[in-house]
Order: sequence, then C-alpha cells, then structure tokens
Amino acid sequence: MLEPIKENWRILLLVLVVVGSTVTLFGPGFGPEPAPGENASEARQGITNLQYGLDLAGGTRVRAPLSGYTATDVAFGGDTPGTVAEAVAAELDNASVRNVGVVPEEGAVEVTEPSVTESQFRAAMDASGYEYGDIREGVTQETRDETMEVIQGKINEAGLSGGSVQQVQSITGEYFILVEVPGQGRQEVIDLLEERGTVRIDIAYPDGNGTAVQEGALIQDDFEEIGTAAQSDRGTGAYVPVTVRNTAENGQSPAHSFQDAVAQRGFQDAYQTQADRCGYNPETGDIEVVNGDRNPCLLLVVDGEVVNSFGMDPGLADSMAAGSWADTGNFRLTTGEFAEAQTISLNLRAGALPADLDISGEGTSSSISASQGENFRTYSLIIGVLSVFAVSGMVFLRYREPRVALPMIVTALTEVYALLGFAALLGYPLELAVIAGFIAVVGTGVDDLVIIADEVMSEGDVNSRKVFDSRFRRAFWVIGAAAATTIIAMSPLMVLSLGDLSGFAIFTVLGVLVGVLITRPAYGDILRRLLTVR
Amino acid sequence: MVAIEVPEVNYTDYSNRQLAAVPLAFLVLALAIIGGWVVATGAPANLGLEFTGGVELRVADEANGDVEQQIRTAFDREPDSVRTIPGDDVVVVTFQAAEDDPEGLANDLQDQAEAAGLTTTAVDQVSPSFASDTARTALFGVALAFLGMSVLVFALFRTFVPSIAVVASAFSDLVIPIATMNLLGIQMTLGTIAALLMIIGYSVDSDILLNDSVLRRTGEFYESVSRAMRTGVTMTLTSIAAMVVMAVVASVFGVGLLRDIGIILSVGLCADLMNTYLLNVSLLRWYKFEGVAR
Repeated sequence: MLEPIKENWRILLLVLVVVGSTVTLFGPGFGPEPAPGENASEARQGITNLQYGLDLAGGTRVRAPLSGYTATDVAFGGDTPGTVAEAVAAELDNASVRNVGVVPEEGAVEVTEPSVTESQFRAAMDASGYEYGDIREGVTQETRDETMEVIQGKINEAGLSGGSVQQVQSITGEYFILVEVPGQGRQEVIDLLEERGTVRIDIAYPDGNGTAVQEGALIQDDFEEIGTAAQSDRGTGAYVPVTVRNTAENGQSPAHSFQDAVAQRGFQDAYQTQADRCGYNPETGDIEVVNGDRNPCLLLVVDGEVVNSFGMDPGLADSMAAGSWADTGNFRLTTGEFAEAQTISLNLRAGALPADLDISGEGTSSSISASQGENFRTYSLIIGVLSVFAVSGMVFLRYREPRVALPMIVTALTEVYALLGFAALLGYPLELAVIAGFIAVVGTGVDDLVIIADEVMSEGDVNSRKVFDSRFRRAFWVIGAAAATTIIAMSPLMVLSLGDLSGFAIFTVLGVLVGVLITRPAYGDILRRLLTVR
Repeated sequence: MVAIEVPEVNYTDYSNRQLAAVPLAFLVLALAIIGGWVVATGAPANLGLEFTGGVELRVADEANGDVEQQIRTAFDREPDSVRTIPGDDVVVVTFQAAEDDPEGLANDLQDQAEAAGLTTTAVDQVSPSFASDTARTALFGVALAFLGMSVLVFALFRTFVPSIAVVASAFSDLVIPIATMNLLGIQMTLGTIAALLMIIGYSVDSDILLNDSVLRRTGEFYESVSRAMRTGVTMTLTSIAAMVVMAVVASVFGVGLLRDIGIILSVGLCADLMNTYLLNVSLLRWYKFEGVAR
C-alpha cells in the first residue's frame, strides 16, 4: 500500500505543490487585502488572487530621503530636550524650535528645516555649547518613523487603497522613504505629500439674530505642541491637549490674541456651568439655542470645512477673561468620542510632515497610467507565452521524442505556476521585473531538465532502477552546482536597494529553489517511468 | 523535419593556442571598446536614465497628425532622445538632467506636454545624485556576484586551472555583451544590470557541466568533451531562443526592461558558447595533458 507512495513521492510532491498553488491563486481568502468599504471580490484584479505592482496596474512611486542634518552622540549635560532644542534653535537664523528635534534615546539633535546648511548647523551646535560626535545627513529614526506614520495617515485619509509607505536603506547607509500609490498620477501624489492641509480654529458667535464667524482665531502655526488623543478622566469624552505659542516675533503672541478674542466674544458669560453647551449646527452654519442661550463656539476647520465645534469649560473661560491663560497656553479640544479626538489630532498634524521629502535633490519618482499598466500586463503575458513556445520548439527539435520533450515543457510550466502560487500566497505584487524573473526561470529550468534527460538517456537504454538512480544522481550534482551559482549571483540584488530589481532576484532564486527541490526531481521520476517501464 | 544536431568538433586538429586565440581576441577587442568608451565618454557604457538622472515621458500617440513633430515643438528644451514604440502607440521622450531640479523639470515638461495637447501615460524622474548612487550600488552588486561565483567555483572543483577557466570565461561572457551594447547603442539600465547578473548564473552552467564531465567522470578526454557539448549546446541554444523571442517581442511592444534583459542575455549566451567550447576546452586540455603530467 505504502510502496507506490514511497516510490513516487517526488511526483506526488509536485502534484501537491500544483494543487496548493491552485488554491492560493484561485481560492478565497488569499486575495489582496480589501480596502475599507470594498468587498473581497472587488479587491481582486482579474480572475486570480494575483496582485499587480505599479508597472502592471498603473500608479506612482516616489522615493526620496528626508532633508535635514543630525548631530550624533550629543552630550546633553542633564538638560531637558526642550532646553537643548531652544538653545540650538536660538543659534539658527532660519529655523525655529519647531524645526529642531532632540531625541535623548539616540543622543541626537536634528534640524529639519531644508534651508539650513550643514555648516550652519555645525556652527549652531558649536555655539550652543553641547558636545557632539559628528554631523550626518538625514534625520533620526524617530523622525523617519513619525514621517511614515503621517504619510500613511494622509494616504488612508485620502482613501487611496493599496497605497504603501516604507523605509529603505541604500548601500551608502542613507535612508529613503518609499511611497507607492496605485492608480494615482505623479502630480496628485506629490501634492498629497507636500500639501500642508490648512487647519484652523474659528470662533462662531451670535450676531443679532444671525451668526458671525471670526476666521483664523488660531492657525496651524500658532500651535506649539499638539498632543495625542486621550480619554477623558471622567465621563465618556475624549480630548486632544494642545499648547498655543506664547512667543511672538513682533506684536502680540498667538496665545494673547486668542485669549483676547475669546474674552471679546463673551465666552465667560456664556459658559457658567457644565450645562451650557455649544449649539452650532454645521449644516446651516447657525448657532442654535441650547438651554435657552445661543452660546459662542470654537470651530475646528480643516481645509475650509468645519469638522467639529466645541464649547468651553467654565474654568478655562474665566482664566482667559482674567488674562492669565496665555502664560501657559494649554487647552483641550474636547470631543464626544475617542475616535473623533484621534482624527482631530491627526488633522492638526497632518499635512505637516516632521521633515520634508527631498524629491528634487536626491529622489526619484515614476508614474504609469492605468491604461499603460494594463497594456504592459497583456504584453508581458504575450512575451511570456511566446518565450515558452520558443523553448518548446527547441526542445522538440532536439529530442524529436514527445515522451521526453512533453514532460519537460510541462515541468517547466509547473515551475512558473508554482511561483505564481507563491506570489499570490505572499501577496507579492507582480512587476515587469518579476515577469522577467519567470522567463529566466523557464530558461534555467529547461536547461536543467536537458541535463537530466541527456544524462539518463546516455550510454544506452535504462533498464533498471539502479542504473537510472545512479545516472540521475550524477546529473543532480551539476544541477545543484549550477543552481548554487545562480543563487549566489542573484543574492546581491535581493539585498541591495536597486528599485524593483529585487523582485527579479527574489523570483529567480525562488524559482531555482522550487526547481531543484521539487520540479526537477519529479521530472526525473516521470522520465524513469516513461523509459524503464517497457 | 529539421532537427538540431550538435556538431562534433574535431578538437585534435587545433592546438590549444589556436583554440584559445579566437575567444581571447574577442575579449581583448571587447576590453578595448570599453576602454575607448571610458576615454571618450568617461563611462564604460552608454548610461541610461537610472544612472545619469533625468526625466522620461511616455506620450500617447493618438493618431492625430505627426506626434514626433508635435513633440519637437511642445517642449522648450530639446529632448535627448525620442523613440517611437510601434506596438503600443507610444512615444518615449528622454531628457537627461544636468541641472539640480529634475523634479521641477518633470512638472514643467508634463505641463508643456499637456499644453500641446499630448497625453502623457507615464513619467519617470531620477535626480542626478540619486543616479550616481544607483550606479555605484549596481557596480558593487555585479562585483559581489562575480566574486561570490568565483569563490563557489573554486570550492566546487578545488583545482586551480579548471576553476580559473570557468571564472575567465564568465568574465569574458560579461565583458563581451557590455562592449556589444556600446556598439549597438543600447543603454545601461537596471534591467541590463539584472541581465548581467543573470549571465553570471546562466553561463557558468555549461562550464560546470564541461568541467564535471572531464574531471569527475571516467572516459577519454574528447569523449567527455563531446558528451558535455551535446547537452551544453542544447541548453544554451534553448535559452538563446527564449531570450531572442523575448527581446524581439518586447521591443515591438516597447517594454524596455524585458527587451534589455533579452538582448543582453542573447549576446552573453552566444559569447558563452564560444568561451566554453574554445577557451575553457583549451585550458582543460592543457591541464589534462600537460598541467597534470608536469
């Protein structure tokens, strides 16, 4: 009973791989991750679970470093990050505290203002009196991570499904941010990355029977700090803690202007108890009566659209009226739900990447329209099929024996099928480079099968299993050695950041492995059955 | 029916010097061409967009008039190359970037194309400093792959002459396609780098087969060579067939990456046929009959 399985396990393994690939290619559950609001079958491109990269589906890829300089191994001498940042920023004419980051865990100080040159930063570090190891190009790990989060947030917010952002490191140790957005043009993506969404706080107040709005009571630049959303200590609400700047180059600081504006619009009179609420109706733009009063409101406006309205805590309104609030400048933007607070925090920060992407100086971008991508998909299919025909033609011409040639072609095609299965399983997007890898795999695959066939059929007929096995083993030495050289030759490409060529290398190596471990041994078994059973 | 018969070569008619002379002449010629390129252009090959920096636009040919003529007037600067892709109704326009703002250039060019009523289907922009980084990385990658392959070959055969024969013919297999690219005006791109790495992997197959047959099997030298040749030539011809088809079809459709890989591998594999069965065989014969006997 077990004997046939033992004898044909190589063929059985091949069948298993083919079945497995069929499942991952066509079965449910292996398809691309559906975007929010999309169901699984909509996310699939075509009848298979395969995903296509930008080359074959259209879209934009932007790859650029973050501009800035970082001083490493800084001795802080016990000073807090805030003090250090202020001291360094004070020495830079063209940068403010917002552009200077201090990361104590990395012992690093960075400047993210693109106009600051390396020598200016070096001079500022020297003048600030903190000892440091060296100045390098680029920003800190923390800033890179944060930038990636902001970009991911922007992509999600814009509803671009399939968009991705990642960090890659070049051979020179420089870090790049790689952003890929399917289905979008170059300009749209760069605009999305560079746009600083305008976020501001307006004050709406009753004006006679109508409602008037004082626009821009606070604008994005007025915030010194924007905290992360937090759950309220009591009750169900949530809030975003913010600090308004109390420094000004000339005239009043933003905190003082805001304080005056709030006092002038009568927040103190309106908000006496917790029962006094904001009655702003975003649909009509009017303040409605709540508990008998029409109270002034703070409006959170993102890109010209009111996304939320707040009342004010009585204590806070009092301190603003008394003029003491501006000293600290802290307040909380409160919301009903935690998720809403999160959105507001993101809104306030989104648009402002912690550091700028240097696309012009050291970046690359490429973009392919959807129709061009679709054409490439058709063309690469045609190219692949014709290449296989060419190989088959040569094999038939050489052996003129369908018993040898036919399994050879079928085996080579199985390798490609198994690789497609792998691609679907890993969710690896197919690119032109990957297609080139497939064709290379058919090439090496058939080469190895030719070695097996020639070796097995040399020196007369194969009439016993022993003869076959010894010949097969000899053939396998050459195949193994050849496979090892291919893997070694391709491995630099897998790790070096040379754009989409890593896909070519990964699939060539994967193909060689599948070939050597599964399909080529199976071809040996098939050939043995065909040649020895007489 | 036409059948492929691998011809039997009568090696005894030729001396080792005669056999090795042909591939060595090709190698020297190829090195001279590459050297000449370095002297004349400062680079060993015609560097493509990825290695020089610049902007490449694909403009759709919507069959209303002469697109190439429209392209010549659309942009305020002269394109470095304009290539029509017959199979895809697309014209590829390349601008090499000498300046430091390729990003702005890409925007301008796209706007200008739009203003002239042309539809751009793809835009690639590479900044010069990024490009020089890429070139360094690519060179490093090829060197690393070659080194790794050499070490592996020495580990496999553990004898100097046969191993160096494989390494030498692999080196020649790399150099000849690069020289051919220069002569044919093909640019060095990431695709061709991938193809060069592939040649390292591909071309060594037939050399290993030959060495294995001569060194590790019983049998007379010429018999071993002709046995290895029967298999090896079939292998290489099959691969060449696949690559030629890929190159031809891909250039009709304008899929640059696949075309480049196809062309380079075809040339490299042809060079491999010559190097394996002339250079490698002569070195092995010398080793077998004179080197070992000494």
